[in-house]
Amino acid sequence: ESGLVEDAVAAPRAIEEARELWRASDLATLELTAGLCEQLRLILEPTLATKLKGDYKTGKRLNMKRIIPYIASEFRKDKIWLRRTKPSKRQYQIMIAVDDSKSMAESHSVELAFQSIALVSKALTQLESGGLSIVKFGETTQVVHPFDRPFTSETGARVFQWFDFLQTRTDVQRLVSQSIGLFETARATGDADLWQLQIIVSDGVCEDHATIQRLVRRAREDKIMLVFVVINGVNSSESILDMSQVSYVPDAAGNMVLKVDKYLDSFPFEFYVVVHDINELPEMLALILRQYFTELASA
Amino acid sequence: MATDKSQIKIKFFTRDEDQEVHVNEAPLYVPVSLKRYGLSEIVNHLLGNDEKPVPFDFLIDGTLLRTPIEEYLVKNGLSSEAFLTLEYTRSVLPPSFLASY
Ligand SMILES: [Mg+2]
Repeated sequence: ESGLVEDAVAAPRAIEEARELWRASDLATLELTAGLCEQLRLILEPTLATKLKGDYKTGKRLNMKRIIPYIASEFRKDKIWLRRTKPSKRQYQIMIAVDDSKSMAESHSVELAFQSIALVSKALTQLESGGLSIVKFGETTQVVHPFDRPFTSETGARVFQWFDFLQTRTDVQRLVSQSIGLFETARATGDADLWQLQIIVSDGVCEDHATIQRLVRRAREDKIMLVFVVINGVNSSESILDMSQVSYVPDAAGNMVLKVDKYLDSFPFEFYVVVHDINELPEMLALILRQYFTELASA
Repeated sequence: MATDKSQIKIKFFTRDEDQEVHVNEAPLYVPVSLKRYGLSEIVNHLLGNDEKPVPFDFLIDGTLLRTPIEEYLVKNGLSSEAFLTLEYTRSVLPPSFLASY
């Protein structure tokens, strides 16, 4: 059920309208794309040379373990040198997961969602970092563009056809668990040094933070990196930054007591940023990815 | 549609002339199972009136809320994806009646 949307099923948006939307989103993000691509290149591609590796006939440093066999073999086994090899290009599978639920429309985040898809997918396509996939989620999670297909402007329009922001639930739990499955399947086709990253684009309003948090940890154990871009197209007084979460917790006597906390305090994704305007996205996405990679490096 | 864990984004406002009963309009994420009593408890909590709560009534689009939010949603063809604005007024109903919902 988490497969690619059926070609036979009619997309909710006509292709002409979707092309027009793509054109507008493409235009709005023209000047930002190259900048984001450059930032992502710096973060995603390893720049440090790898460790010294053997065995070579010439090189930078002697491999001491090879010296005695070298002498014993009367200098025939002469691959005794270590070299600093060039870093291999990392291969990525990057999935953009976009919230297709009705609250996106209610919070005026639709335009920002389309612009975000256009910006991130164009930057990643320029980067040629590996496979790019796009899924939509709400009540269900569906692949609207699979890893193994190239991404073009026409692809962008076809992807836009599948978004109508009418889903009446936002099941982030289901998104994360199905994404783990999709990544597992995709990993089978990749090579050993494959990195998997999911960028979730959503208004961030979701239930049951504790359960989601457990799934996010499971994804991390499976070496799937998750970053959450909270888009918030509304004016500041209604921002998610100011939103409160109402809950009821039992007191010592077992009575349920009202508790009001900042909504984002229990937000289940460790790596998230809040974006109010498309111009903020490159900087914010780079920031959160840099944080993630810094933490990975120090772990 | 909604499970017991379902929540909805709401905000409160009042036309009361007394500034003392005005809460700020920042959104809240609350269970859809809430009724008048629970909503009144939240407003009092936001006002710092936990000890001496004032009973409030709630209106959505000018209609008095007499059921859990969830029922209002179903009746009006809405889902928990909606962003509701709830107006509150000091309750004019007798306390015995208030306790029932
Ligand atoms: Mg939603």
